[in-house]
Amino acid sequence: MTVDLKKYPAIAEYAKKTAEPTWFTELRTKSLEKASSLELPSFEKIRYQRWPIQLEQPLEKKGSRKELIETLKPEQTGNMVVQLGQNTLELKISSEMQDQGVIVCDWQTALREHGDLVQKYFMQKAVKFDEDRLTAQHVAHLTSGLFIYVPKNVVLKEAFTSYFFQDATAKNDYVHHVIIVVGENSEFSYLENLKTVGEQATTANIIVEVVAQENSHVKFASVDRLGANTTTYLNRRGHLKKNAKIDWSMGMMNDGNIVGDFDSDLAGDGAHSEVKIVAISTGKQVQGIDTRVTNIGKHTIGHILQHGVILSRSTLTFNGIGHIIKGAKGADAQQESRVLMLSNKAKGDANPILLIDDNDVTAGHAASIGRVNQEQLYYLMSRGLPKKVAERLVIIGFLGPVLAAIPSKVIRAQLKATIERKLIDGQKDE
Amino acid sequence: MSTLEVKDLHVSIDGKNILKGVNLTMKTGEIHAIMGPNGTGKSTLSEAIMGHPAYKVTQGEVLLNGENILELPVDERARAGLFLAMQYPAEIPGVTNAEFIRGAINARRPEDKPLSVRSFLKQLDKTMSVLDMTEEMADRYLNEGFSGGEKKRNEILQLMMIKPKFAILDEIDSGLDIDALKVVSRGVNQMRGPEFGSLIITHYQRLLNYIVPDVVHVMMGGRIVKQGGPELAKRLEDEGYAGLRDELGLDIKLVDEEA
Ligand SMILES: Nc1ncnc2c1ncn2[C@@H]1O[C@H](COP(=O)(O)OP(=O)(O)OP(=O)(O)O)[C@@H](O)[C@H]1O
Ligand SMILES: [Mg+2]
Repeated sequence: MTVDLKKYPAIAEYAKKTAEPTWFTELRTKSLEKASSLELPSFEKIRYQRWPIQLEQPLEKKGSRKELIETLKPEQTGNMVVQLGQNTLELKISSEMQDQGVIVCDWQTALREHGDLVQKYFMQKAVKFDEDRLTAQHVAHLTSGLFIYVPKNVVLKEAFTSYFFQDATAKNDYVHHVIIVVGENSEFSYLENLKTVGEQATTANIIVEVVAQENSHVKFASVDRLGANTTTYLNRRGHLKKNAKIDWSMGMMNDGNIVGDFDSDLAGDGAHSEVKIVAISTGKQVQGIDTRVTNIGKHTIGHILQHGVILSRSTLTFNGIGHIIKGAKGADAQQESRVLMLSNKAKGDANPILLIDDNDVTAGHAASIGRVNQEQLYYLMSRGLPKKVAERLVIIGFLGPVLAAIPSKVIRAQLKATIERKLIDGQKDE
Repeated sequence: MSTLEVKDLHVSIDGKNILKGVNLTMKTGEIHAIMGPNGTGKSTLSEAIMGHPAYKVTQGEVLLNGENILELPVDERARAGLFLAMQYPAEIPGVTNAEFIRGAINARRPEDKPLSVRSFLKQLDKTMSVLDMTEEMADRYLNEGFSGGEKKRNEILQLMMIKPKFAILDEIDSGLDIDALKVVSRGVNQMRGPEFGSLIITHYQRLLNYIVPDVVHVMMGGRIVKQGGPELAKRLEDEGYAGLRDELGLDIKLVDEEA
């Protein structure tokens, strides 16, 4: 062993307790050593650097209170995982998945039982451990997560759902990692529910890596509801091989400050990424969303569609970055970012950024920042709908084009219900 | 029985005085028609009664069953029993027609007693067939991409589903083909009864053949200048407004008059 673990007693203790493989522990210490010399990532017009977003607590294995567990029973019963803080409460995998050799396990189990596979993909393809200070801190402090491996030629009909509850009943950092590898010619749908329980001020650092092998198709959907006192770095990254496709559908319904860094690298020829994001900011929160698609392979397609609504004194920034690398002949990069402001104190931004290093490509962008249409509100109210109800209808209508483009009907309905709830709560501050 | 009274109503828009003292009283069970030249303030009257924020009431009052409604926000006026079929209905993408109409009905019911989806749909189907509307219109987004005539039909659909006490219909006949005019009239006539009153703004006497009014008002220069029965509408159709104006000795310039 090259690193002296005595220098890092917390990591040594944690590694012993969880019996994680040596290569991973070494990566932790290497990351920790490197972190302080790395810069924080920077995103256009998103100033988060002074937030309590850096991970400072020593690595420690922690449980959650028993009585809390009882309150977290999702309606769904099969084909899902439920985690609270660092611990997995439930994991049920359909026979369809089991029969076809799909691996789904929590982070510690993945490291112990599928170490080679994890090592092959963990922060190798989609995100690099030393990319910036936050990714490095992530590796050093990582304590929970999920590993999903779909072998090649497996077409799964049923979606797999995860319920990740961040435990903010105590002041614990939440450092969480998800890897989804979908093999050649395989198809997989995944729905992630991220939610906070508790109200303590906490920091969350979450990285999701999706590796879509040749000719695979991944549908990734998420409904994020992190709490008002949780400061979050959320990085979701896709790495797409030849003719692979990822459909991202994300609902940013958080109540706290968050930086969302959502990227797709279209590495193989013909790779295709569709990114749909709806976001609602309320209260005093700041949500900064930086969505990038990089066209590397020839004839790759990257589309970004993001609509957001801002209430009260909150802030919402959408960056849309379409980056076409030299040599990506026939690539297509399109994006649309729209922001609707409901109050005079709301702050919104929609920044289209096209970086094009090849000539033989198509690219386009649309961006707008607007206010609620008063004629629409008047019309709805003239039929007896109270102002807030009318506002919600106009907002849902504004988000409609993104919602309609989400492939799954179930997720569309669920997202709509979450939007409704978040808006009702948010309107209380108006 | 309910009453709607407009008393000495003065309304301005962007600082320009449009209504200069309108008086009008109507009861449920009655149909009133308003006719008048372009730009004379008919839509202004209807928007002011409904409460459009751009129309400023500078004097006078509007009473529903004796209570002044001018202090009420738009939605409360609607729930108190007013309805305005607009000359130019707004389009709301992303909200389906059916979802919206159900919301409007439920806004009038106690929160814990919403209309069941089943009985709502039954009622909606029935009403849409009276109006010769295809089922597909229920699932389309509210007025989005509707043709002019479809929008008007949709206003009447809402009227029939919401069942207000008083409905103001602002040029409900404009842009309707002859068959549609009959269909829309059939809808309004079905609403007729002791609990429903309507104020119909129109330029064409033809509509009043289908929906026969009890009272016809003529509006010119921001005031109601004459009232009569259905025969008044016929006379205007034949003679135009200039004759009546000169008879009344009014100093008003009509839009289409040569200088
Ligand atoms: N937003 C506005 N800004 C300025 N003037 C306005 C505005 N809206 C209406 N007006 C003016 O108010 C006057 C009355 O308009 P109104 O729409 O009430 O007429 P109307 O009698 O309904 O006419 P029509 O028969 O053409 O529908 C017109 O001169 C019109 O130009
Ligand atoms: Mg008019």
